Amino acid sequence: MTVRNSIRQLWRMKGHTALFLILLCISSGMFSVGMGFWIINDRNLQRYEDSFMTIGTVQQSATAVQEIEKWDAETKSYHLSTQNIYDSYVPESVLDFEGANYLSGPEKRVSYTAYNPDFKPYEGISMEIVVEVSPVEDALPDHPVKLKITRVLSGQGVLEGSIIHFCDHDNPTPAMLYADQTYVMSLIDTQGHESEKQFPEDQVREYRPAPLLGASQYTPDGSRMKDSIDETYFCDEVTEGFYETPRGKRWLNYTQTLTYWESVFPVVATDNIRLIVPFYQGETYVSAGREFSEEEYRSGAKVCLIPELFAAANDLAPGDLLRLPLITANYRQSAGQIFYTNAIRPYSLLNVKGEIYQPFEDSEYEIIGIYGGSTGLGSEYGMGFNEVLIPANSIKASDADNIIDYGPMTDSTTSFQIENGAIQDYMEKWEKQGVRNVEITFFDRGYTKLSAGMENMNTIARILAVIGAVMVLLVLGYFNWLFILRQSTRTAVERSLGLTRKQCFLSLFSGIFLLLFPASLAGCSAGACLSAHLSAEIGETVYYDTTFGNSAPAETEQETAMQEETFYPLQAAAITMTTVLLAGSLLAVIGITCNLSKEPMEMLGRSTGRAAHLPRQA
Amino acid sequence: MEILRAEKVSYSYRTKYQKVDAVREVSCAFETGTMYAIVGKSGSGKTTLLSLFAGLDVPDTGNIYVQGQSMRELDRDAYRLRQASVVYQSFHLFPLLNALENVMLPMEFQWIPKKEARKRARAILQRVGLTERIYRQFPNMMSGGEQQRVAIARAVAAGGEIILADEPTGNLDSENEEKIVLLLQSLARQDGYTVIVITHNPRVEEAADHVFRMKDGTLTYVR
Repeated sequence: MTVRNSIRQLWRMKGHTALFLILLCISSGMFSVGMGFWIINDRNLQRYEDSFMTIGTVQQSATAVQEIEKWDAETKSYHLSTQNIYDSYVPESVLDFEGANYLSGPEKRVSYTAYNPDFKPYEGISMEIVVEVSPVEDALPDHPVKLKITRVLSGQGVLEGSIIHFCDHDNPTPAMLYADQTYVMSLIDTQGHESEKQFPEDQVREYRPAPLLGASQYTPDGSRMKDSIDETYFCDEVTEGFYETPRGKRWLNYTQTLTYWESVFPVVATDNIRLIVPFYQGETYVSAGREFSEEEYRSGAKVCLIPELFAAANDLAPGDLLRLPLITANYRQSAGQIFYTNAIRPYSLLNVKGEIYQPFEDSEYEIIGIYGGSTGLGSEYGMGFNEVLIPANSIKASDADNIIDYGPMTDSTTSFQIENGAIQDYMEKWEKQGVRNVEITFFDRGYTKLSAGMENMNTIARILAVIGAVMVLLVLGYFNWLFILRQSTRTAVERSLGLTRKQCFLSLFSGIFLLLFPASLAGCSAGACLSAHLSAEIGETVYYDTTFGNSAPAETEQETAMQEETFYPLQAAAITMTTVLLAGSLLAVIGITCNLSKEPMEMLGRSTGRAAHLPRQA
Repeated sequence: MEILRAEKVSYSYRTKYQKVDAVREVSCAFETGTMYAIVGKSGSGKTTLLSLFAGLDVPDTGNIYVQGQSMRELDRDAYRLRQASVVYQSFHLFPLLNALENVMLPMEFQWIPKKEARKRARAILQRVGLTERIYRQFPNMMSGGEQQRVAIARAVAAGGEIILADEPTGNLDSENEEKIVLLLQSLARQDGYTVIVITHNPRVEEAADHVFRMKDGTLTYVR
């Protein structure tokens, strides 16, 4: 009955009631939009945090650049090339300083080579041959001279008995070759001298030295070990019993390594595959199976990721086992810099003793994933051909006797991960270290710029929410005064008519609540719709950016994002509506309590003279 | 028949500056079918005494009995709902309810069916001398005398036996004042109500069957 009476009186105050409904609807709508926008923005920022990643790559600057002269037998002149000179190599440990707060790394990745004759990683035909030759006539090979192949030790057997052209192309002072002698040579097939041909059909292939007989071996501290054979050495005279001599045995070992190369492939150990630029950029991604788990990285599980071509060539799939006998370790170049084609023999597989490097680690790895996409083969940061990835901790044995190259930290070998948005802080601390010859380049996929924009949007959303909340409070405050505090006389009359305090409370509260509920419901619902619309607009950008960041987002992720877009505005609407209802109810309770605390007779006994003429009760 | 009795009732309250003994050991009795006037200067404690009779306050000491039952033991809300009604100087009608609705309200509070309440309200309004013309009018469209008659009708509509009126003619002109005095008198004498009127008005004093004078919280029987 009291509720009905309350409604009837509210109905008679159509103007005030409508104004209250409209103002509360608008303010709670604004509050809801602000809150919704705030929540969605926070969530989007979180998504950015999850989707984006900030890595730094490290490059030691050269102390000097040295010009190197290289003889060209065709032009009879020197060609100049340059080479970086380093006084010393800055150790990776300089990156470990207080406040660096790495999430991964820093790591200087080592490029290992695995030799497994069960696998055929290469499809290319080797251009290199090891042959015994006799010059057709005494000749100085400062230009293409004719040699007769008397024996093929390695390479294309069909060449045996044929005449080839040979030029010691890069040597300004080649040694004389005599017709009555036999030589063993390591040669590579190249394009002939342009100046030698008069017609296109005169084009002849030319063999040049392939000097890989000399060893490349380093100590763990980065010093090159001395070999008895010069690194440019490619030829020996063959005499009776030559292959029984140490030099001859080295030639035989070397010949054997050429067959090794058919089953050699790079292996890179890492603590986080996303520290490798193509994976970071999302151009390369796991297309079958899965990535390494945190636990696998931590424990050094014997698991690996292989490239699609390698998997196809060897009929491998996730779950198969792959034996990785690691025979060399390269501390200078990335796998991509070494194995940028499928037919290259970048270094000798002989150690300074002239023996073939033996595996320092030989384990079976489970293939858990296959990666594909654009591997950036041949590019500055590209993956190596047939590069296999393993967790860094999975290598337990020392590679000290198998280091074939050593060099400074470079962008393609050394990287680390820090928190998104922490670049400036990191660089301030790094500058304090005083390391001048190391350059750090950061990649954050535009996170810093995007997050700044998102932070600005968040600030706007917060301002909107606060303004909305203040407006709600002002509207509630005003109407609390109008509908309750100004109704103290009504409460007093009702009390004097015999209504209990509880009934008087219900009489006023029900009226207020009946306005509060629909107004806040309408306002918050409208706010939720607007938030959903805005979030959908923003969502498109976020999808684009996360797609950009992750390269291959699963459909389920997009579905989740869609659901979230609907969920968060509703959540915001629920929060704001509850807040508005609670605030309105609280103010109403305070106001009604204030009314009920007044003595009815004290109020009603006063002769105000207003009651008769002014409507002041609802 | 005695309906209301006060025995050595005292009541005091504290203002910001001092304790005020508003009612001091007041004893009196009221019978049905009689109109009483309580006169006295402003601040003598008349309204406080009326508040105690209305059950809006409880005496500090002493007791008030309604038909022999102590007010302290009564459900005082129910007492105001069904036995005693208050009429004010400023009428205190609900401005958003018309005359008929104002009169129906106490009946609605008692859960009397709407149809029955409307019928009774019409009869009561007729009884207090109001024509059908004003039934649908809102208080701000009525004269002071009409408003006070609606207020009296509302008091009657509660169905109790006691009407407590606090300066009911205070805001009225002499013509309306006379009408209200006669109405209250007839409600007592014809309809059997106990009408207790707080007043400064000599006309009301004159019309009352018995007169009490209130001075400094004490009540004296005049006639």
